[in-house]
Amino acid sequence: MLRESSTSVITRNEIWRGDSASEPIEAGWAREAIFFVRALRPAHGPLAQAFAEISPDGMHWVREGSGITLPEQQDAVVALRVSHFGNWLRLRTVLPDRSEYAVLVTVHLK
Amino acid sequence: MTPDAISLRQALLHADPRLSRFDPLPRILSFDDFDRGHCGWSPLVGNYEGSLDTLLPGYRELTGPMLSTLSHWDGGSHGSYDGSYALKLATRPKCDALSVGIKRLTFRKACPVRLEFYMTFKPEATEPVLSDRDVRSVGFLFDLQVGDRVGAGGQRVMPHMRYLNSSDGVLQQKWQFKRRSPTFQDIGDGAETVSHFHLDDNGWEDLPDGNQRLCYNEIATKVNWHYVRFDFDIASMRALDFQCNDRRFDVAAFDSIRIPAMKNLWCMLNVALFAQADTDKRTFFYLDSVCLSGDF
Repeated sequence: MLRESSTSVITRNEIWRGDSASEPIEAGWAREAIFFVRALRPAHGPLAQAFAEISPDGMHWVREGSGITLPEQQDAVVALRVSHFGNWLRLRTVLPDRSEYAVLVTVHLK
Repeated sequence: MTPDAISLRQALLHADPRLSRFDPLPRILSFDDFDRGHCGWSPLVGNYEGSLDTLLPGYRELTGPMLSTLSHWDGGSHGSYDGSYALKLATRPKCDALSVGIKRLTFRKACPVRLEFYMTFKPEATEPVLSDRDVRSVGFLFDLQVGDRVGAGGQRVMPHMRYLNSSDGVLQQKWQFKRRSPTFQDIGDGAETVSHFHLDDNGWEDLPDGNQRLCYNEIATKVNWHYVRFDFDIASMRALDFQCNDRRFDVAAFDSIRIPAMKNLWCMLNVALFAQADTDKRTFFYLDSVCLSGDF
């Protein structure tokens, strides 16, 4: 049987400021995930990191693994790999004051 | 079919544990058991041209479907109706927020079609209270258009039905339909794309005798599955029948959004499912399974 694989856009053209996160996704059927973050416009303000979070219930979150630096240039893309994550996943960032990112976040699961 | 063939088909359906709880018309167009993946149910992305910034406001924050085991903080995985996974639509945690899943097909014959599914809905269990007024509505729609040889007067027809559970914190518990045509707007600068937002909260009308109390259960993390069936004739573009659990509803007064046929949607047979929050909690709408059948 072929392995399941799917791509979900969990943040579409949203402006991230301050404490921001993607909508949560249930992915218990998958063994691995890759987040891609694409800047839809040039970023404003100081650079910041984004990181994966996992959760027992979709409401209480804990950081998983190391972060990635969000992309600065329009259409630049960065990726973050996650495995052994249980069921719930999201991508979160805490941006410094005056920072602003317009992002498209996809998560690829298989 | 001969009487013997009809009896044999019926016996085969009744002996199949996956299909026995459905009453499909003679041809099954799709049977979506979400233990086999998303089965073609995708997010609804509004029309845009040049940039996502041209999306109409109603489409900008729509969220799409995922596969869920109905996992809860207090009881763990509830599981689906049959197996582990159900299709889940989850709104944002914001009053008025919508989530939509859509399956895009075309039809090979303008004939009666039947949409059947088992569904349940709940708000996210962010507080240990009953929470039965946090979900505004769950519903479904077809988006249909005649074939390209129909000629003058051909229509795009969009039958909508929703269960209005609660509105502004007051339980409503009734079925509603929508026939008011939305306003189309030009999108972008190319004069090739238009868009209309047909899922807003305006224009819904009560289905006659459409009040129905469902099995919400007693806390936000207990779910019970409900049967829904909607019959629609693509030839006459009229609703034929509607059922939820033990209730069948008179659809004589039901009508659809009707629009002159558009230039690139011939024979369209789209089915969509949607959910809307009435408070700043996520609304979860679960489906397992969905069966679409046709009389041809």
